[in-house]
Amino acid sequence: MVNVMRGVLVECDPVMKQFLLHLDESNVLGKKFIIQELDETHLFISADIVDILQDKIDELMDQNAYPVLQK
Amino acid sequence: MKLKTDHSSRPLWLAPNGYIFLESFSPVYKHARDFLIAIAEPVCRPRNIHEYRLTAYSLYAAVSVGLQTNDIIEYLRRLSKTSLPDGIIEFIRLCTLSYGKLKLVLKHNRYFVESRHPDVIQKLLKDHVIQECRLRRDINDPDQPEAEGDDLIVSKISSKSALQLNQPSTSSTETDLPANAEPQNGNQTNIPKDIFDFYDKIDEEEEEKEDLQTVSFEVKQDLIETIQKRCIELEYPLLAEYDFRNDTVNPDLNIDLKPMTVLRPYQEKSLRKMFGNGRARSGVIVLPCGAGKTLVGVTAACTVRKRCMVLCTSGVSVEQWKSQFKLWSTSDDSMICRFTSEAKDKPMGCSVLITTYSMMGHSTKRSWEAEKVMEWIHHQEWGLMLLDEVHTIPARQFRRVLTSVQAHCKLGLTATLVREDDKIADLNFLIGPKLYEANWLELQDLGFIAKVQCAEVWCPMTPEFYREYLHIQSRKRILLYVMNPNKFRACEFLVKYHEQRNDKVIVFSDNVFALKHYAVAMGKPYIYGPTTQGERMQILQNFKHNPAVNTIFISKVGDTSFDLPEANVLIQVSSHGGSRRQEAQRLGRILRAKKGSAAEEYNAFFYTLVSQDTQEMYYSIKRQRFLVNQGYSFKVITKLAGMDEDHLHYSTKHEQQRLLQQVLAASDADADEERVVGELNAKGSQVVRRVGSMSSMSGADDQVYMEFQSKSKLKSSHPLFKKFRK
Repeated sequence: MVNVMRGVLVECDPVMKQFLLHLDESNVLGKKFIIQELDETHLFISADIVDILQDKIDELMDQNAYPVLQK
Repeated sequence: MKLKTDHSSRPLWLAPNGYIFLESFSPVYKHARDFLIAIAEPVCRPRNIHEYRLTAYSLYAAVSVGLQTNDIIEYLRRLSKTSLPDGIIEFIRLCTLSYGKLKLVLKHNRYFVESRHPDVIQKLLKDHVIQECRLRRDINDPDQPEAEGDDLIVSKISSKSALQLNQPSTSSTETDLPANAEPQNGNQTNIPKDIFDFYDKIDEEEEEKEDLQTVSFEVKQDLIETIQKRCIELEYPLLAEYDFRNDTVNPDLNIDLKPMTVLRPYQEKSLRKMFGNGRARSGVIVLPCGAGKTLVGVTAACTVRKRCMVLCTSGVSVEQWKSQFKLWSTSDDSMICRFTSEAKDKPMGCSVLITTYSMMGHSTKRSWEAEKVMEWIHHQEWGLMLLDEVHTIPARQFRRVLTSVQAHCKLGLTATLVREDDKIADLNFLIGPKLYEANWLELQDLGFIAKVQCAEVWCPMTPEFYREYLHIQSRKRILLYVMNPNKFRACEFLVKYHEQRNDKVIVFSDNVFALKHYAVAMGKPYIYGPTTQGERMQILQNFKHNPAVNTIFISKVGDTSFDLPEANVLIQVSSHGGSRRQEAQRLGRILRAKKGSAAEEYNAFFYTLVSQDTQEMYYSIKRQRFLVNQGYSFKVITKLAGMDEDHLHYSTKHEQQRLLQQVLAASDADADEERVVGELNAKGSQVVRRVGSMSSMSGADDQVYMEFQSKSKLKSSHPLFKKFRK
């Protein structure tokens, strides 16, 4: 039987790939979303998770940035 | 607020919330700047527009250096592009009217409350608490015939500046100023004349007012604190001044500046604020690192010429102060004494005592000898107390130093008047107002401090390290981003690159694990907490004079007061969280003006290595705020050109993997920064480590058991018993 899954190809730097793997393994989003690891910089992930994933990445970026306007 | 018609030639705008914006390209900038420094706090001073802020403390400082309420308002009005907001005028009135009217003066070792306003004195004397504090002399007292009965002592003071400097410097500044002012006058005819006129008037008042009528009354010495407290309640705080010329009880020191010693204009200006009216005021002077704070201190000591105590932060800076005293002034070994745990000269009876904060703040038991010295120190009246790196003072363990030592006048010196806690305002009453704060960029342009290129180098994490970083939530994360192989490679590359240019490189790492690892791997000497004084000196001497030693690694013990004039490259591997002070202090290590390299645009380099996508990025920006406010800009380098071609450590996956194993094997404690004795914000360690066998831990060795009374039991006992237990 053929299983068809809708997915998105993600290209990112090796560090970001680690972050995605980490999210996948630790089940932060409630489920596994990586369908296939391709190479150092490419991943194939399920499509319905993309929006939440973007939020998560924004969160990571915010964590590591200091708000300059804050007094 | 109304915009004035000639607004384009007026340099500043005063916002209703107390912030002042000043155009630094305005022709009257020089005047406006000097005035604003006196009345407001500089917030941010980049190249073109400066931001200042009016605060109660800054106005208090303005009054204490002799500015009057009406002068402040009038001059602000003339400088402003718009009419002044009413709220601000009200605020200035409120803050300045009652401040500075009364002075507590120490003359002939007797305390007087002095004022130029007889009505204020009269009002004060109606208060019954103050009446009690007043000292009335007998009519028969031959010394003091004018102090009979209820009459006030009316006297004249001559308020010529007490600062006597060597000629070359004074003449140079005097020729300097008009020369700058005149061409501006010629070029820009449309400048409203009133700005200059008024400034000159204030200037004259400040410098040359002589023979002012003052009214004073004497107070009982043992009630000084009562009267100080009462005056604050009455909203007439007393300003403390020290009339050192008329102090006949404490012996004069035979100490002068050497004839060849010449002060730079800004050093002189800062001291003018201190000795403005023939007496010494307490306060804080803020100069960038490497701009010659020590010379300011030495000059102050030579002006007061009374017994002097210098407090600094470490043993190394004690040595540096001593050598600076000998370099600039006529003092010799017999007059200067060091009082530290290593070098105990015989301090009794010396005239200049140099010691550290931790030595004075030490509260547990000392050696018998040190105990005697402390006793002697407490019984002396000190003319001047110099506090190096004064921002450390608000820390609890050092505050006691100020109250336990009797000093007539306190001068604080620092480069960075910032703390991450909000205790910096405490300095206002612990020491005194801020007397002067220099502008970093201007000193840099004039060549008094080095031109520094600041750069933030982004090092990508390797996937393996980042993976672990994400998994580990404990403090060990720090270790992972500090030990990032790409960071190591960037560091090694920069060290190699600058060594080829014959630069002298300092590498800073707060993390001792990383410090050791980096230094050992590159084969360079390193200094950290446990390094002995002798070894430190040896390494520093080698760094200065030995062409084979061009790079040293230092932990945070080297943040302050390590004077390394040769160093011109600084690489920061790891740091103390988001501390702005540390960033500035570290920059200060390479700020000392460099000789013979004027051709280049920059003659010093400050690199911070940051691991991308980690907490370090957050801290890095947080740390830079202070320097950015001083007008520095940080260049971000995402890729170091030529790094891949060089042969560097950790270039293969295999080597990186081994490093990762080492890091993972390290304990949590290794991830912590080292604790330096007396370091700010140092939290007491909660965990005690003890080495021992299982049997000794469980009490199988010949341990003697003791009984302890628990605290809760003590509480319940009758108060009567408590008394006896003590």
